[in-house]
Amino acid sequence: MPMNLRMAILMVAIVLLLVIFRALSKKTIPVKYSFLWIISVIILILLALVPNTLIWFASKLGFQAASNLVIGVFLIILIFITISLTIIVSSQNRKITLLIQELSILKEKIKD
Amino acid sequence: MKILLIIPAYNEQENILRTYNEIVEYNKIHNTNYDVIVINDGSKDHTEQILKDNKIPHIELIHNLGIGGAVQTGYKYALINDYDVAIQFDGDGQHDVNYVGNIIEPIKKGVSNMSIGSRFVSDSTSEFKSTKARQLGIKLLSSFIYFFTREKVYDVTSGFRAIDRSLIKKFSISYPLEYPEPISTTEILKEGYKVSEIGVSMNERLGGVSSIRSWKNVYYMLNVLMSIVVIGIRGGKK
Repeated sequence: MPMNLRMAILMVAIVLLLVIFRALSKKTIPVKYSFLWIISVIILILLALVPNTLIWFASKLGFQAASNLVIGVFLIILIFITISLTIIVSSQNRKITLLIQELSILKEKIKD
Repeated sequence: MKILLIIPAYNEQENILRTYNEIVEYNKIHNTNYDVIVINDGSKDHTEQILKDNKIPHIELIHNLGIGGAVQTGYKYALINDYDVAIQFDGDGQHDVNYVGNIIEPIKKGVSNMSIGSRFVSDSTSEFKSTKARQLGIKLLSSFIYFFTREKVYDVTSGFRAIDRSLIKKFSISYPLEYPEPISTTEILKEGYKVSEIGVSMNERLGGVSSIRSWKNVYYMLNVLMSIVVIGIRGGKK
């Protein structure tokens, strides 16, 4: 794998890691939502540091170029994160609905 | 028997007062005591003002929830206030209070948990049966529900339905937010609750905008069919 690509992946991983830790320390995201991102970063770093393993994997899986495997891995991680976000949003939606209903009933009650 | 009519209202300034007055009038003439609770689902018109000025019992949702969330609020209100029967009743003039007595009959007798006011059973005198395309859609939903539950329900999208205490409790905890009628019917049939259909006459909408807009119909069908399949595969819990 070209050195440039490895450097680029490493850079992206470091930036991602910084963003995650900054968000964690500022408590803008809770620890449990950071795991998926941290795992993604670890995978990225591994890709950059041990590209031979990557090339071996890529050829075994039938990829024509190692970079395609990188893109593939990215894609899978993103799909995973999107699905988990959909689940989180849906559960929040239920909670918000509950809040609106209970608060509205309560408001009606204290009126009279 | 404590009976509650739940009227979900979204931008119903043209119809809501007339609908309410008809129920009050009906109560006077027939010596019934149907209570009413209007759920104002964040209307942007003068619905809230009309409800206040005429002292119509209502709950003002602090934010729009959509039909499912609004009706569920009514069920929660019915549960808190210990009602025996809760009836969803549209505020737009489609439903006729004269049929409420017939609809709640199977629940009073204890033969079913839900009773649907239907345009498509033989004793229905309804002139208004919706458009051909929509009838076809309803038939398709009906056959899907039959396939998965082995129970025949004809007017699966009817919003004119009564439920008993057990379902008031169940729906208070969990009720579909979107397209609630066919989805909740499938769910309860799958869980072994009894559903009856009573012929009613429905009117065309007097004003306002139907919650099922035509350009959304394909999306609506896909969504509901998918939901029925999911419930069918998931299997009953009861």
